[in-house]
Amino acid sequence: MADTADDVAEDYRQALEDLTLSSRIEIATLTNIARENAIHGLAIVEVLTNHIKKCPPNRTLPALYVLDSIVKNVPTPYALYFGPKLYSIFMGAYTKVDNSTRAKMNEMLKTWKEPVPGSISKKPVFPIEQVRPIENALIAAKNAAFAATQSSFQGQQQLMRGRQPVAPIRNTPTPPTGRAYQPPPHGQYQQHQDAGFPMRPGSGPNGVPSRATPQPAPPVGGYSHHQQQLQPAAREVYGAPPQGISIDKLKHDIQQLIVADRAEFAQDPLDTSKQTRLKALLDLQAIIQSQGQDMPQDQLMIIRDRIAELAAVNLRAQKQQQLPQPSVSAAAAAPPAHNASAPHHHPATYNQPPYTHTPTPPVVSQPPPAAAAVPQLPPAIAALLGRAPQPAPTPPPPLAAAPGGVGAGNGGAGTGTLSLDSILGKGALAALLSGVAQKSATPTPTPPPQVPTPQFPPVAIPPAAAAAIAALRSPTQPLPFQPPPHHPPASVPAPTPSSSSSAAAGPIPPPADPSALLAMLRQTGLIGNNNNNTPTPPPPHQLPIPPPGFVIPGLVPGVPPPPPPGFLDRATIQLAPNSLKLFRPHLVPLHLDALGPPCTQCGRRFRTDEAGRRRKTAHMDWHFRVHQRVAEAERRGQHRSWFVDEMDWIRSHEEADVDWVSPASLDDANANGGAGGGGSSAGGQGGRAGQKAGGGSSNEKKQYIPVPEDASRINSACPICQEKFEMKWLDEAQEWVWMDAMMVGSAGNKRVFHASCYREVHGNSGSGGQGQGGAGYRATPERVLGKRKAEVSFFFFFFFLGRNHIL
Amino acid sequence: MSIPGIPGLGQIIQPAAHAPTHRTITLRPFGEWRFQVRRNATATAKLLSGTAERDGTELALNRSYTFRRTRSRLLTWTGCTIEVSGEFEKEDVVQYNNPEESAYIPTLNLHHYCHERRQAAGARGPRVMICGGPNTGKSTMARTLVALATRSGSQPLFGNVDPREGLLTLPGTVSAAVFGTIMDVEDPAGGTGVTSTPSSGPSSVPVKLPMAYYFGRERVEDDERLWRDLVSKLGSSVRAKFEEDGQVKAGGLVLDTPAVELVSLKEGVGWLVHSVKEFAINVVIVLGSTEVYEELKQQLGSEKTTHGENIDIVPLDRPDGVVERDEMFLQDAREAVIKEYFFGDSRRTLSPFTQSVGFDDVAIFKASEDTDLYDNEQPPLEPAEISGAMAHWTLAVMNASVNDPPETIRQAPVIGWVAIANVDEDKRRLRILSPVSGRLGNQPMVWGSWPEPYINLLG
Repeated sequence: MADTADDVAEDYRQALEDLTLSSRIEIATLTNIARENAIHGLAIVEVLTNHIKKCPPNRTLPALYVLDSIVKNVPTPYALYFGPKLYSIFMGAYTKVDNSTRAKMNEMLKTWKEPVPGSISKKPVFPIEQVRPIENALIAAKNAAFAATQSSFQGQQQLMRGRQPVAPIRNTPTPPTGRAYQPPPHGQYQQHQDAGFPMRPGSGPNGVPSRATPQPAPPVGGYSHHQQQLQPAAREVYGAPPQGISIDKLKHDIQQLIVADRAEFAQDPLDTSKQTRLKALLDLQAIIQSQGQDMPQDQLMIIRDRIAELAAVNLRAQKQQQLPQPSVSAAAAAPPAHNASAPHHHPATYNQPPYTHTPTPPVVSQPPPAAAAVPQLPPAIAALLGRAPQPAPTPPPPLAAAPGGVGAGNGGAGTGTLSLDSILGKGALAALLSGVAQKSATPTPTPPPQVPTPQFPPVAIPPAAAAAIAALRSPTQPLPFQPPPHHPPASVPAPTPSSSSSAAAGPIPPPADPSALLAMLRQTGLIGNNNNNTPTPPPPHQLPIPPPGFVIPGLVPGVPPPPPPGFLDRATIQLAPNSLKLFRPHLVPLHLDALGPPCTQCGRRFRTDEAGRRRKTAHMDWHFRVHQRVAEAERRGQHRSWFVDEMDWIRSHEEADVDWVSPASLDDANANGGAGGGGSSAGGQGGRAGQKAGGGSSNEKKQYIPVPEDASRINSACPICQEKFEMKWLDEAQEWVWMDAMMVGSAGNKRVFHASCYREVHGNSGSGGQGQGGAGYRATPERVLGKRKAEVSFFFFFFFLGRNHIL
Repeated sequence: MSIPGIPGLGQIIQPAAHAPTHRTITLRPFGEWRFQVRRNATATAKLLSGTAERDGTELALNRSYTFRRTRSRLLTWTGCTIEVSGEFEKEDVVQYNNPEESAYIPTLNLHHYCHERRQAAGARGPRVMICGGPNTGKSTMARTLVALATRSGSQPLFGNVDPREGLLTLPGTVSAAVFGTIMDVEDPAGGTGVTSTPSSGPSSVPVKLPMAYYFGRERVEDDERLWRDLVSKLGSSVRAKFEEDGQVKAGGLVLDTPAVELVSLKEGVGWLVHSVKEFAINVVIVLGSTEVYEELKQQLGSEKTTHGENIDIVPLDRPDGVVERDEMFLQDAREAVIKEYFFGDSRRTLSPFTQSVGFDDVAIFKASEDTDLYDNEQPPLEPAEISGAMAHWTLAVMNASVNDPPETIRQAPVIGWVAIANVDEDKRRLRILSPVSGRLGNQPMVWGSWPEPYINLLG
C-alpha cells in the first residue's frame, strides 16, 4: 500500500469527473473503490463533498448516488464521515438542481432514515438527528416556494399535473401502484452487485427487499414526476419512525381528516363526492377503532398510505380552491402510469417484480398468514382504499377492481415477511401467499420481463400421485412441470393419479415447512443461488401422467433397467440400426435433469455441485453483462466482423462464459474481460477496453505499431484475446496504427499481440496479478484505481470505438 | 388501456394480450410440434412447463421464442406444454404411443454412443458423417447431434461440405466451427445461420467462429476439383484444430454432407469417400437410402481411418416428418441469409458500410472460363471484368494478398463477403457494401455463381 491519501483522492476525483450519468456500474465501482480505500476515507469524503459542491447541476445526482451508495454499503466509516457534513452537502446540492432531481433527492433522503435494506442492523443509514434538520429545511423551503408560486400556477396546474415542476403537492398514488412506481433501480443495482460486484456478501441474488436507494435511476427521466416532493402532511406520515404502524397515529390522522372533511362538507353540502368520502372515512374510523389492534401490518400500511394521500389531497384542496378535486386525475392516472413505467425496468431485473421501494417499516419477520387474512378486508375499507379518493366520476383505475387482492399481494410481500421475502424474492412470496389464500388474485398488472414466473405454486404431490409418478422422475429433476403461470391457482384441479392430461400440474397448498419450500424454489432456479444453497433433497414434482399403456420403465437414473433378454443389449449402444433404434429410457434424463437445472434465460443447464454453481454464476453474470451492453451497442452501431485466418482459428479456444476468472474476484474478472475471447466477444471487448483505458490512466506510454504494410500476412486479431486490433489514425505518429499492439517474434515469424494482453500473459509489468489477487487483497491501490477507472470510462471508450468504425 | 409489451433480454415484444391467437399445446413425452412460419410472418412459442428442445437445444422455460421463416419442430422427451401464437403456415402435433416410434431415438442413442467415447481421457472423439439422399433430415440430425454434445459439455466441431447451404456462412462454402456454446433457437437455421457469427457488439447468444473456404458454386459437380481441394483444406484445418485443442479433439466432429442423388450415385458417394478420408471419419450415418449405403460400403471397403480405427457405416431410416423444402423456400432462405449477414436480424441490427471504389482499386477474380481439367497451365482464377452484370452479387473476400498466385487465392479462407450495390460503368466506379469499414484494395475478392444475386439488398 504505497499509496498516499493524496493519490487516492486525486484518482477518485478524476473518476468522479467522469461520472455524468447515474450508471450503476460506475456507482458500484466508485463504491468499491471507497470500500477498498476506507483507510483513506477522509480524503475520499473530502473529494466527494467538494465534487458535489462544485459539479454542474446535471452531474450532482450521480454524485449524490455515489454518496448514498457508499454510506449504505460501507457505513463504517463513511456514514460517520459524511454525517456532520450531510446538511451542507444535501442542501447545497438541493439548491442548484432542478425539481425532478430534487424529487429523487427526497426519495434518497427518505431512505436515509431507514436501515439499509438487507442489512442486519436496524440502525438508520444516518442518525435521525442528522436527517431531521434537512427535512425541516426542506419543508420550510417548500412552504415558502409554494406560497410564492401558488397563485401563478393555478391556471396551469390542471394541464401540467403530471409534470408539475414546482407544485410541491403531489399525491403519492394508491399503495399498490405507488410501489410499482418507485424506481426499480435499486433492485437492479442489487442485482448487479450480486452479479458483478458482490459488495454485500450476505445478500442473495434475487430478493433483497429493494426498499432503499432510489438510486442509479436509468437516465430515462420517466418517473421522476411520479414522486414529486411529498407534501408535508404525507411526509409526516412517511417519516414515522420505522417501527411498525402506530394505530394511534392512524386514528389521529383519520380524525384529522374527518374534521377537515366535515368543514369542507359544511361549506358545500351538495357535493356528493365529499359526502361519500366523509362517510367512508367515518366507516374507516369505526373499523380502526374496533378492529385496529387485530389488523395485520400490511393492511394497516395500506390504510396508512391511503390516509396520507387523502391528507395530501386535502391540503391541496385547501390551498387551491380552484381545484377542488386535484386528486382525481392524479389517482386515475396512476395505474396507467404504472403500466407505462414498467418498460423502464431494466431488462436485467431478472426477478424483480415491479413493485419496489416502500417506506415500509422494517417489520420483524411476521408470519405469512397475516397476508392470508387480507381477503377478509372489510368491504368498507376496500371501498375506501379503492375508490374513496375519487369523488368525481372518473373511470376507475384498473386496479380498483381488486384493490384488496392486489393490495394483499403487494402488501404481503412488502411488509409481512420481510425476512422470508429477502430470501425468496417478492414475487415468489406473493405467489405463495395467493396460493395460500386460494384466491385468484390478479397478478401484478405488468409482469416484469423475464421473470421466472412468480406464479409458481410449489407442487406437493399426494402420496398416491407421487407413487404413480415415481417411475417417471429422477431424483435430481427440478420440477420439470411447472403449472402454467397464467392459470389462476385456484382453478387448476389438483392432479390425481388417473389424470392423463399433462397439464394437470396444479398448485397445492405449500408444505408447511418453510425450509422445504425454500429448497424447492431454489432447486427450481426460481430463486437463485443463495449463499447457503445447500443441496436439498429434491421436492416431489410432477410429470404428465402418460396415457395408460405408455409406461416407460426405469426412468429413474442410477437404476438402469435390467437388460431385457434377447440379443439386443440395451446397456451398450452399438452402431447398428437395430441397436440405435432401441429406446433406452435411462438415457433420457441424462441430457435433461442429470445436467442440472436450466438457466432461466437460455435454457442451458448447470449442475448443482460446486463447479456447476460457479459456472452458473459466471453464466448469469455473462447474461447480465451482455444485456447491459446490447443497448449500448445498438446506440453506437455494430457490424459483422471479418472471420479470422486459419492460424487464429486453430488457436482460438471456445470457452463458454469465459470472461471471469474465479468467483472470488468477480469484480476483477469484469475488468479483465474475456481474455479468452471465444464465448463472448462482448466480454473480450470489455476486457480490451478496460485494459486500454487502464493503461492510459496510469500514464503508461501508449503502445502501438503502424498498421503492417501487408496486413494479410500478419494476424489481425490478438492471439491471446482473439479481438481484432483496432485501427486508428494517430495524430502524433501521423499514420494509421494499431493501438495497444506490439510485434513479437523475428522477421520470419512475426505475430502481433495486444500489448496489454501480452503483458498480462507474460506478466512483466505486474498488471496480470490483478485477476488472481482475489477479493480483498490487491497489489497496489493505484493499480486498482486504474482498473476501476477503466470500467468507469468503459462506455466512453466504446463510444470512441464506434466513432472509429464510422470514420 | 392496453399494456405495452416489455422489451426484455433478447426477447421480442409479445403481441398484445388481446391477440386471440394464443393457444396452448400439450405434448406427451416424445411428442413433436412441427411448425412452419412463412417468410414475412412471425410466430412465437413459449414453453410453459416440461422440457422441449429444438434440434437438441433446449428452450428456456417461460421465455418467448420468436420464429420467422422457419420450418422446424419442437420435441419433448418428457412432455410439455407450449403456448404458441402468431401466424403459422402449417403446424402439426405428432404424438406417439410408443417411444420407439419417435424418429429421434436413433439420434439420442447416437449421441450417447458418442458421448461415452468423448469421456475417455485424451480421447479422440468420434468423427461422425451424416449423409444420404436429398431431404432426408441430414442437417437436422447433424445439428441435433452437435447441440446435444454441446449440452453435455463437449466442444465438438461442426463441419459442412455441402455448398448448397452454409454453416455459419453464406451458401457456396465449405466450413467448420467449434460449437462449445448454446445454439440459437430462434435462428431459422437453428443456430447455424450467419447471425451466430461474431460482430463488433455483444450477442445474446454466444457467437461461433467459422473457418470457411469459398466454393462459389451450387453443386459439387460444378467444379468437383475445387470442391475436393477445399474439402482437403478444411480437413487439414480441422486436423490442426484437433491437435491444438484437446477439448475439441475429444469432442470430435459432426459433418454434414451434400445430398447424394441416385442418378449420380457413384459420383456422389465418391465425394463422401473423399470427405471420410479428409476428416478421418469413423462413423458414417446413411439416412434413408440403402443405395447410398451399399455403394458407400463397397467404395470404402475395409478401409480404416488414418488413426487405424474401423469405419462404421450405419444405415438409418429417413426420419418421419422431414420437411420438404421447396426451391422457393430455399431461395428465400438464401436471400435472408445474405441480408442477415450484412444487416443482422430483428434482434441485432448491424450497420454495414458502403464505399465507392474505382474499378482499378479493387481486385476481383472469377473462375477461369472454359477450364480445361487437364490443362494445368491455365490459372484457375482470372481477374473478372467489372460490368453491370456484377451488380447485386455477393463476393467472397479472401484472406490472401492480391499478389498471391491464383491457386493460393482460390484456396484461401474466406474472411467475409461484400455485396456490389451498383456498378457505374461510365465513371468506372463500384459501390460496395462491406460489413467492416476499411479499404478493400489489398484483399482479393472472388466472384462465384452461388449464392445467386440478391436484388434488394440496398433497395
